[in-house]
Amino acid sequence: MLTLSLIIVLGFSFTRLVVGSFNNMQRGLAERYYAEGNRAMDEKRPAQAVTAYESALVYSHNSLQYRLKLTDALVASGASSEAMAQLRDYREQRPEDAQVNLKLARLEAHGQHVDEALRYYQQSIDGVWPDHSDPVPQKIDARLEAAEYLVSLGRKDEAEGVLVAVAAELPAASPEQPRLAELLMRNGDSDRALNIYEMELSQKKNDPAALLGAAQASLAGGSYSTARRYLEEIKPESPEAAKLRGELDRVEALDPFARSASGKVRTERTMAAFRIALERLAACGAPFAQSMTNIKTGAATDPAQWSGFAKWAEQLAPMMNERKLRGRDDVIESAMRFALRSEIAAQKNCGKPTLDDEALLLLARQRLGAGQ
Amino acid sequence: MKPRTERSRELLTKLMATPVRRKYFETLRRMLGPSGLISIREEQFFLVLAIAIGLLAGFCVVLFRVAIAAARIWLLGSSLHPSTTRLLLVPSLTGLVIALIAVRYFPRVRGSGVNQTKGALYIYDGYIGPETVVAKFVLTALAIGSGQSLGAEDPSLQIGAGLASAMGRWLKLSKERLRLMAPVGAAAGVAAAFNAPITAVLFVIEEVIGRWSTGILGAVVLSAISSVVVERWFLGDEPLFRVPQYTLNHPGELLAYAVLGVTGGAASVVFVKIIKNLRPWLRRQPQWSQYLQPGVAGLLIGFIAIWFPQVMGAGYEWMDLAMHKRFAWEVLGILAGLKIVSTALSFATGTPGGLFAPVLFMGAMLGGFVATVEQQLFPAIAVPVGAYALVGMGALFAGILRAPMTSVFMVLEISGNYSIILPVMICNSISYVISRAFQEVPLFDLLSRQDGLDLPSLEEEPERALLRVEDAMRPTLGRALLGDEGIGSARGIAASTQETNFLVSLGEGRWSVLSREALLSPEHDETELVRSLIRARVPRLYQDQSLEVALRFMRDRPMLPVVHRANLDLLMGVVSVEDILRTYRKAGVAEPETVEVS
Repeated sequence: MLTLSLIIVLGFSFTRLVVGSFNNMQRGLAERYYAEGNRAMDEKRPAQAVTAYESALVYSHNSLQYRLKLTDALVASGASSEAMAQLRDYREQRPEDAQVNLKLARLEAHGQHVDEALRYYQQSIDGVWPDHSDPVPQKIDARLEAAEYLVSLGRKDEAEGVLVAVAAELPAASPEQPRLAELLMRNGDSDRALNIYEMELSQKKNDPAALLGAAQASLAGGSYSTARRYLEEIKPESPEAAKLRGELDRVEALDPFARSASGKVRTERTMAAFRIALERLAACGAPFAQSMTNIKTGAATDPAQWSGFAKWAEQLAPMMNERKLRGRDDVIESAMRFALRSEIAAQKNCGKPTLDDEALLLLARQRLGAGQ
Repeated sequence: MKPRTERSRELLTKLMATPVRRKYFETLRRMLGPSGLISIREEQFFLVLAIAIGLLAGFCVVLFRVAIAAARIWLLGSSLHPSTTRLLLVPSLTGLVIALIAVRYFPRVRGSGVNQTKGALYIYDGYIGPETVVAKFVLTALAIGSGQSLGAEDPSLQIGAGLASAMGRWLKLSKERLRLMAPVGAAAGVAAAFNAPITAVLFVIEEVIGRWSTGILGAVVLSAISSVVVERWFLGDEPLFRVPQYTLNHPGELLAYAVLGVTGGAASVVFVKIIKNLRPWLRRQPQWSQYLQPGVAGLLIGFIAIWFPQVMGAGYEWMDLAMHKRFAWEVLGILAGLKIVSTALSFATGTPGGLFAPVLFMGAMLGGFVATVEQQLFPAIAVPVGAYALVGMGALFAGILRAPMTSVFMVLEISGNYSIILPVMICNSISYVISRAFQEVPLFDLLSRQDGLDLPSLEEEPERALLRVEDAMRPTLGRALLGDEGIGSARGIAASTQETNFLVSLGEGRWSVLSREALLSPEHDETELVRSLIRARVPRLYQDQSLEVALRFMRDRPMLPVVHRANLDLLMGVVSVEDILRTYRKAGVAEPETVEVS
């Protein structure tokens, strides 16, 4: 019995030694191939990176880090479906893994699968992050990414829900505060954005980025004087600040709803906005021009958007002079709605806006809300 | 003050003062061996030894698996995609080296190792030489590492059995125990290789022992569990496959699974027929060609691997991918076909290595293929590819290796999902029945017979109908004598028959036999009881017992009573040696030479 026990102890020790050495060798090989894959990715050779990462996974097949890198390489080499399959395989074993869910969400978002993307984003937010890292900032990052995706989709209410949740749990000193403010701005919530920028300014006085953000938020909220005050505090003036100042000037010059505007100024500004919008639509190209021609020749109108704008413009055009607009707040209102809606439609479908168009878009956001 | 030894002796004498204490300490003394260690009875020692064998076989199999992985890196390179030159040169050149060593020095290491282990158990009293174990270890690692289409499970079985055999001889176990060592080690080997103890136990019973034997079951189970513990300790408890979740939504889906059973059965027959014909044909070739055959097989496999590297080695990682829908149906079909060809080439040329893993590979690919084709033909039916791949493994296992119990439990054990049992049982049964219909002799028995060995088979066992006591017993003419009746009365009964022996019921289920001569002997008075004539009792039999058991009890007794199990004094009939022999003659069991050989 004693000899038998001794043999077992010796067998155990020898096996441990051999397995330990072999594991070290495998670890070394895995790291070598991983480094090779990273190098290939840096040098924009995704196909070689895929081979290298696959080889690394042979020797360390449970490494999530390697698998995530492999999926990056697969996406880069155009094999998104293979990347998706890799991640789904992994997710079957660990459905709670936040990193995998986040990657899947990105791939689904890239593939325009909105519901799946949102589901994976949510599972990533609720999921488990690696032990060695602090999960809070990563969860916040995932929330912000999900919110950004929702904003890009124009799902304002859902985005607002996520952003408000982030605002509640994000520490005041977090470097993510400006990102949150920017997303709030993009989602049309300039008040909350302004609050965040002001909070930033209370901590970092005269911070140019926070001042610029506060100016943008004020401008978006219609507080032109506040916006101008923030812009004046930016020293030295940056190109972005100069651009915003120009925008502010144009908005002030174009806004017929400003309290200081007299009746004459209102009509002039309305006519100017109508003209700018018409030029923008005309610059959009053939469909609008064709619709206008059809209306003039009495040809059958089509139900499409452009013909709708053409018809609307046709009805408003005869009213666009000082005499007819005087005292006609309803026509001014209609003309401004036309101008603002045309700018929004043109923003989605046409080329780069001019400074005047941007000013009208800002007004549109104030009056109609983002994405309207 | 008295010296310490003297004080101890006094204390011992005091402790043993009473008879009860003396008995207790006598028992304790018997347990203490000459070395001062606890010595135990042989049966108990055998169980302890089974655990030790399990641990040691576990170490060996862990090292074996490491050796295979290291050989793969060393021979084919560490990259996942070896170069074409390596793919062509490595399997062929390694094949030549393996053939040189195996054919010239270690002919017993050729093949899978299952029938060699079975041969050791039934022919060589459990002897497997240490040189066979070492050579099997090295050559199989080289073969699989170089890409031959073979697996590590069956060689692990032989390595475990060899290790157990060596230990048995070293411990100078009795011949009977030594013979049992091989299956104990075999179970440990295959359990560690497959990370599945239940499968290992059943496989050893079905394929190695060839009969259900309760005497060895405990030891086999203990060794299998200990080896799996070792394997998981060193290599982790990760399963071989990441099995997808599965639920049977509608019983109608079982029909779709039946198609897989039929396909699996057909594929099994094809594979076995190829081996059946190719192996003896290759063996009939000139001796010098034996040295080239594994090399040529390696070259052909390397050539296939240029386009389909999945056919090389055991291929567990590819089975895993097949389960996760990572191959198109065309690829799955091609891989199943190519694996049949490449495994047949590797195996028939005598390259050391097992069939277990390649059979699972074929099954996984075929299962995936059938699932994807069904998906396209009948989109309304839920066809989970992962479940089909898993069930396909069981179907091919049942069809090729003809171990139906193992095949069912193997799938359950690796899937950990009981819901899959119905599809598995249906598919495996169909595949098994088709395989039996077109190929009478199971593969491992076929291989043994090609090697000139005729070993017992669990599958053929039921075909030889078990003869029972009821088949041989005859009714008694008249009643049995009673122990408490007078000799005079008993003589009266004897006078009415021509029987030379009489059964005597002694009550409470005890029986004896009395000869006419003893009964009629004038030495005894008629008023004495029959009981006074009885010299010894005889064992009783039951109708359902086998004739083999009856024969064991018979010795030189003229007859034995057959009684009712619920009333041990109720005589159902009698059996004599003549009755048993007459029954065997009438049954006419098939003789070995009438069975198909190759």
